[in-house]
Amino acid sequence: MSTLHLLVLAPFIMAIFVPFFYKGFRRIHTGWFVLALPLLLFIYLLRFIPIGEPLQVVKETMDWVPSLGIGFNIYLDGLSLLFALLITGIGTLVVLYSIFYIANKKDEPLNNFYVYLLMFMGAMLGVVLSDNLIVIYVFWELTSLASSLLIAYWFHKEKSRYGAQKSMLITVTGGFAMLAGFCLLYIMTGTFSIQGIISFFAESGAIFNEALFLPAMILILLGAFTKSAQFPFHIWLPDAMEAPTPVSAYLHSATMVKAGIYLVARFTPVFGGTPEWFWIITSFGLLTLIWGSISAIRQVDLKAILAFSTISQLGLIMALLGLGSASFIDNVAEVAIIAAIFHLINHATFKGSLFMVVGIVDHETGTRDIRKLGGLMAIMPITFTISIIGIASMAGLPPFNGFLSKEMFFTGVLEATTLNIFNVQTLGFIFPIVAWIASVFTFAYCMIMFFKTFTGKYQPEKLEKKAHEAPIGLLISPIVLASLVVIFGLFPNMLSYTIIEPAMQSVLPYVSDPYINIYHWHGFNAELFMTIGVVLFGTVVFLNLKRWQETTFFLHERDPLNRFYDGGLEGLVAGSQRVTNLQLTGLLRDYFAYMMVFMILLLGWTFFRYDAVAFNFVDVSEISPYLWIITLALIAATISVPFIQHRVTAIIVVGVIGFLIALLFVVFRAPDLALTQLLVETVMVVLFLLCFYHLPELRKESFKARFKMTNLIISVGMGAIVTLIAFSAHAARHGLSFEPISQYFVENSVPLAGGYNMVNVILVDFRGLDTMLEVLVLGVAALGIVALIKLKMKEGQDI
Amino acid sequence: MNNIVLLPVLIPFLVGVILILFRNQLPIQRFVSGVTTLGLVGISAYITYLIYQDGIITLELGNWPAPFGIVLVGDLFASIMVVFASIVAAACLFFAFQTLHPDREKYYFYPFFFFLLTGVNGSFLTGDIFNLFVFFEVMLISSFVLIVMGGTKYQLRESFKYVVISTFGSMFFVIAVALLYSVTGTLNYAHLAERVAEAAQQGQSGILTVIAILFLIVFGLKGALVPLHFWLPNAYFGPPTAIAALLGGLLTKVGVYSIMRTHTLIFTHNQDFTLTIILILAGLTMFFGVIGAVSKFDFKRILAIHIVSQVGYMIMGLGIGTTMAIAGSIYIITHNMIVKTALFLFCGATEKVTGTTNLKKMSGLLKTHPYLGWLFFVAAISLAGIPPLSGFFSKFALVLGGLEAERYFIVFVSLVVGLLTLFSMVKIFMYVFWGSPSLSPEEVKKTKVGKLLIPGIPLVIISILMGILAEPVYLLFEAAANQMLDPSIYINSVIKE
Repeated sequence: MSTLHLLVLAPFIMAIFVPFFYKGFRRIHTGWFVLALPLLLFIYLLRFIPIGEPLQVVKETMDWVPSLGIGFNIYLDGLSLLFALLITGIGTLVVLYSIFYIANKKDEPLNNFYVYLLMFMGAMLGVVLSDNLIVIYVFWELTSLASSLLIAYWFHKEKSRYGAQKSMLITVTGGFAMLAGFCLLYIMTGTFSIQGIISFFAESGAIFNEALFLPAMILILLGAFTKSAQFPFHIWLPDAMEAPTPVSAYLHSATMVKAGIYLVARFTPVFGGTPEWFWIITSFGLLTLIWGSISAIRQVDLKAILAFSTISQLGLIMALLGLGSASFIDNVAEVAIIAAIFHLINHATFKGSLFMVVGIVDHETGTRDIRKLGGLMAIMPITFTISIIGIASMAGLPPFNGFLSKEMFFTGVLEATTLNIFNVQTLGFIFPIVAWIASVFTFAYCMIMFFKTFTGKYQPEKLEKKAHEAPIGLLISPIVLASLVVIFGLFPNMLSYTIIEPAMQSVLPYVSDPYINIYHWHGFNAELFMTIGVVLFGTVVFLNLKRWQETTFFLHERDPLNRFYDGGLEGLVAGSQRVTNLQLTGLLRDYFAYMMVFMILLLGWTFFRYDAVAFNFVDVSEISPYLWIITLALIAATISVPFIQHRVTAIIVVGVIGFLIALLFVVFRAPDLALTQLLVETVMVVLFLLCFYHLPELRKESFKARFKMTNLIISVGMGAIVTLIAFSAHAARHGLSFEPISQYFVENSVPLAGGYNMVNVILVDFRGLDTMLEVLVLGVAALGIVALIKLKMKEGQDI
Repeated sequence: MNNIVLLPVLIPFLVGVILILFRNQLPIQRFVSGVTTLGLVGISAYITYLIYQDGIITLELGNWPAPFGIVLVGDLFASIMVVFASIVAAACLFFAFQTLHPDREKYYFYPFFFFLLTGVNGSFLTGDIFNLFVFFEVMLISSFVLIVMGGTKYQLRESFKYVVISTFGSMFFVIAVALLYSVTGTLNYAHLAERVAEAAQQGQSGILTVIAILFLIVFGLKGALVPLHFWLPNAYFGPPTAIAALLGGLLTKVGVYSIMRTHTLIFTHNQDFTLTIILILAGLTMFFGVIGAVSKFDFKRILAIHIVSQVGYMIMGLGIGTTMAIAGSIYIITHNMIVKTALFLFCGATEKVTGTTNLKKMSGLLKTHPYLGWLFFVAAISLAGIPPLSGFFSKFALVLGGLEAERYFIVFVSLVVGLLTLFSMVKIFMYVFWGSPSLSPEEVKKTKVGKLLIPGIPLVIISILMGILAEPVYLLFEAAANQMLDPSIYINSVIKE
C-alpha cells in the first residue's frame, strides 16, 4: 500500500464520511468538506510533472487476488498523470461550482450527490492509475454506476430515470465486452498487466497471427466506444444531460467519457500498427465527429448542443488516435497523437467552462432553451466573457488553444493521406474532407450558441426568473478554466515537454525525443486555408439556418438512432413476455408434455447415439402361466383407466391395478412388500370414497383427436424408452462381473446382525438411516396434513 | 471417521422433533430455533475448517463398512454448501420471526423448517445414492408443506403442480437408482465411481451414459433446469417471503449440487458428451430464466423466475469442467444463495411498506426508506455481476475459465444474460426506489422496517466481503474444485482397502 494507492482509495474513504458531515453539520454545505480532497490530490500529483528531466514512471504493487492474476498495481506514467491531473483538477473546480449550483435546501440529498461524485472520482483515478486490466475493469464499472446514479440524482423526474437506465445499459454492455476482451488478452499473454502485455507483444513479434487477437481488439474497442460515446453508442450521452450541470461538466465532458480515449491510447502500443486498429478507430472517430457536429445544429437546448458537441469532439480525438497508430509503421503520423493529447486537454478546459456557463444561464434564467434566450450580453457580462472565450476556442479561432489543436488536427488528417500503408491511398482523401465538413458544422453550432444566447432581444416574458449576473462563487470555476484556455492558447509550449511529451511516450513508447513545438503562425499553408474556409462556410450555414430548419432532418430533435434503443427495449420486454407466456402456461398437462418430450428426445438420442440398446435373456426365469394372466390383467386394467367415464369405476379399476401389483409381489416371494401394497391400496380406496362426496362431477371432456394423438405418442414414447433402458441395463450387467453389495447382506445378516429376515435387517440395521428418514417423511406428511386442514389463512395476512 | 459430520443432519432433526412438543410456546420455539441455526453456522464452518486442514471426513453409519452400509462424506464442496445453507436458513429464520403470522408459526413452521434443513444438509453430506433419494424426500415433503401452508387458493393450486411434478421426478429418481444398481450392483458413491469407470472400460459405456443423462434429468428437475423448470416460478410466489426466500435459497441448489457431485465423481466416463449436454442446458437455463425475469413486472415474481437463470450459471462451470470453472461454479452457487436470499428478504420488507409486490404500484422508496433502497441496490448489482462484489468474481472465474477452455458461445450467452439480469434488477430499482414517493410522511412513520432489514444486512456484508476478500474465498473454492476433479481422493477416503 503506497501513497498512490491511498490516492485512489481516498475518495472512497471520504465518501464514507460524507453522510456524517451531512447529518452532523446540516447548516454548512457538504461540498465544503469535500472540496479539500480533490484539491489536495491535485497538488500532490503536480509534483510528478517533470520539469527539465524525463518523467519517472512510478510503479507500486499490492496483491489482491493473485490466484486469478489480479493485483492492485499502480502504474503512473505520462498518460496516467495527464488524466489524473484532469480528474483531480477539474474535480476541484466542479466541486467548488456545485457548492453554489446546488443549494443546501431542506430535502436536497447533498450527501447522495457527494457520495456518488467521490465514488466516481476514486473509480476514475483507479481506471487511469491501475496497471492490471481487471482492476481497471472494476473501476470502469464503478464509473458507469456512479454516472448513472448521478444522472438519476433527481430521480423523481421521468427523464432522469430514463437517462440513467440508458447510460447504465449501454456502458455496462461495453464493459462486459471489454471484460471478455481482457480475458482473451490474458489467454494469449498469460498476464493481466498492461505493461506485461505490451512487452509480451513487443518481444514475441508474431502476434497478428493469433486467432484471438482481432476478437480481443474488437471487444476492447466496444468497451471504449460505448464509454466514449462513439457512434452508434453515443445516444446515451444527450440523455445523460438530465444530471445536474456540474456532473455534466465533470463526467460527461471532461473526464468519464474520455475513459474510452484513455483505453484506446493505452492499448495503442499493443494493437497499434495493425490495419484493423487503424481503420476501425479512424472511421468510427470520423463518423462520430461528423454525426455529432451535424446533430448539434438542430438542438434547441444549450446542454444538448454541448452534448452533441462533446460527442463530436470525442470522435475527433478518437480519429486522431486511430490515425496516429500508423506511426508504428510510418512516423509521419506522430503529429496526430500529439494533436490528440493536446486537444484532450483543450477540450477539457473549454468544454468544462462552457458547461458551467450553461449551468449559470440555466440557474439565473430558469431555462436552457435557445428559443427563449437572447440578449444576455448586457445582463450577464462576466458570463458572456467566459462564454466567448470558450466558444471561440471550440470553434477553432485564434488565439485560443482550440485553434492550435484544430490546426494540428488538420495537419494530422492531411499527413495521413500521404501514408502508404493499409490501403490509405484509396480512401485516405476522405479524411480531410470529413474533418473539414465537421469543422464547418462545429463553427456553425458555436455561432448558434453564442448569438442565440447573448445577442438578439432579451425576452423576459419567456423566462421563469428575472435574469441577472451569477454570484461570484458560480463564476470562479469557469473563470479559471477560461483563463487556462487563454494561457494554453498563448503559451502552448508550457505543456509540450511537461505533459504532452510524457503522455505521448506512453502511447508511442518507441518514439524517442519527439520534437513538439506548437505555435500559431505556420505561414499560408493548407491548414490555414481550411480554417478560413471553415469560418466562411460556417457563417453561411448559420445565416441560412432558417432554411435548413424546415427540412425534415431538423424536425427530429432526437437522434434517430434512439429508435433502435427504445424499440429494442420495448421489443425485448414484449418478446420475453411472449416467450415466457408460451412456456409457462400454468397448465400441468402442458408442462408434462414439454418435459416428457424433452426427456424422450434426450434419452432417446443418447441411447441410440451410443448404441446402448441391448437385450439379454440368458438367465431370466421361466414365466409361469398365472404370471402371464396377472400381467395381462394388469395391462388391460391400466389401459382401460383413461376410457372410464365414471368416477367410482375409475377408483375401482385403479384399486384393481394396485391389488394386482400386490399379487405380483406375492408371486415374487416378497410377502412384506405385498402386505404393504395391500394396506396402501386399501387406505387409498377408503380415502377416495371418503372424499367422494366432496368431489365435483366428473365432466365428460372432449378433446380434439390431434391433442389425444400427441398425448398418446408422448406417453407411449416415455414408456418405451424407460422399458428399453431397463432391458439394456439388465443386459449390461451380464457383460460385467460385479458382485452386488446385496451379497454382503446375505452373508452377514445372521452372523453380524443376528436377524434371519434379511429385508428386515436391511431396513433396521444395514440401512437404518434410510428407514428412520422415511419415518420422518411420513411424520412430516401427517403433521403437514394437520397444518393444511386447520390453518386457513387469507391472502395478505402476513408477508 | 469423525462423528462431527453427522451433526448438521442430526441437530436439525432432533430440534425439529422437540419443537413439535412446544407448539403453543412461540417464544421457546423462536429462541431454540434461533440458537440452533446460529449454532449450525458455527458447527458447519468448523467442519469446513477441519476438512480444509485434514482432508475429507467420513462416517460409516451403524459402523457398517463402506460400500455396504450408508456413509456420510464431508468433502470441501459438501461442507461449504452446508455452511452457506445454514447462513441462508438463519437469515430466513430471523426474518420469519418478524413477519410470519403467529398462526403459521403455531402450525409447526419451525419443525418443518428444521426438517427441511435436515433433508438439505443430508443431501449435501451423504455418500450413498439411495440415501440421497431419502434425504431428497425429507427435503421435498417439508418443502411441500411449507409452500402450501396457509392454504390460500393460489397456494393450493400452484403447490399441487409442484407436488405432482416433484413426485414425477422422484419416481424417475428411484428408477435411475434401480438401473444404476442393476448395472453396477452398488449404491455407495465411491464404489459407484470405481465400478462405473471399470464398466465403461469393459465396453458398457453406452448404457452408463444413458443412466448418467437420466440422473441429469432427475436432478435437473429439482434444480429447475430449462426445460424442466416449470414448477418453480409460480410455486415460489405463493408462500410468505421468509419461506419463499428459504426455498429459493436452498432447494434448487441441492439439485445443482447433486448434478455436480454425480458428474464429477461417478459419471466421468464420457464427459465429452455429458458435459456438452450440461453446457447446452446451462445456456438454455440462463437464457430462458432471465427472459422470464425481463418479462415480469412484479418484484417477487422477478426474483422467483430469476432463480432459474442463475442455475444455468451454476452448471455452466461444471460443463466447462476446468478447475477454475468449477471453482467459479461453487463461487456462484454460494454467492447466489446469499444474494438471492437477501433480495427476497428486501422484497418482503418492500411488501411490508407498500402492501404489494407489483412494481407498477410502487414508487420513490429511496426517499422514504433509503437503507432498504441501498441494501437492495448493493445486492442487485452483486447479482448482476458488477464489481467488486461476490457476483463479479464468480462470473469472472466462469468467463475466464470458459474462454480458456475455448467455450466461447456459452461465455457469450453468460455475458448477455448478465446484462439482462442487470436490466431486470435496474427495472426493480427504477420502479420501486426511484420516482416520486407514493407515501405520505405519516404513512412512512407507520411503516418503519428497520428491524426487518437486520437479517438481510449480514448477507449483503458477506456478498461484499466475498468480493473484496476474493483471494481466500477463491483459494477455498479452488481447493474444493481440485478435490472434486480428482475422484480418487474421494474414493480413497471412503473405501479403505
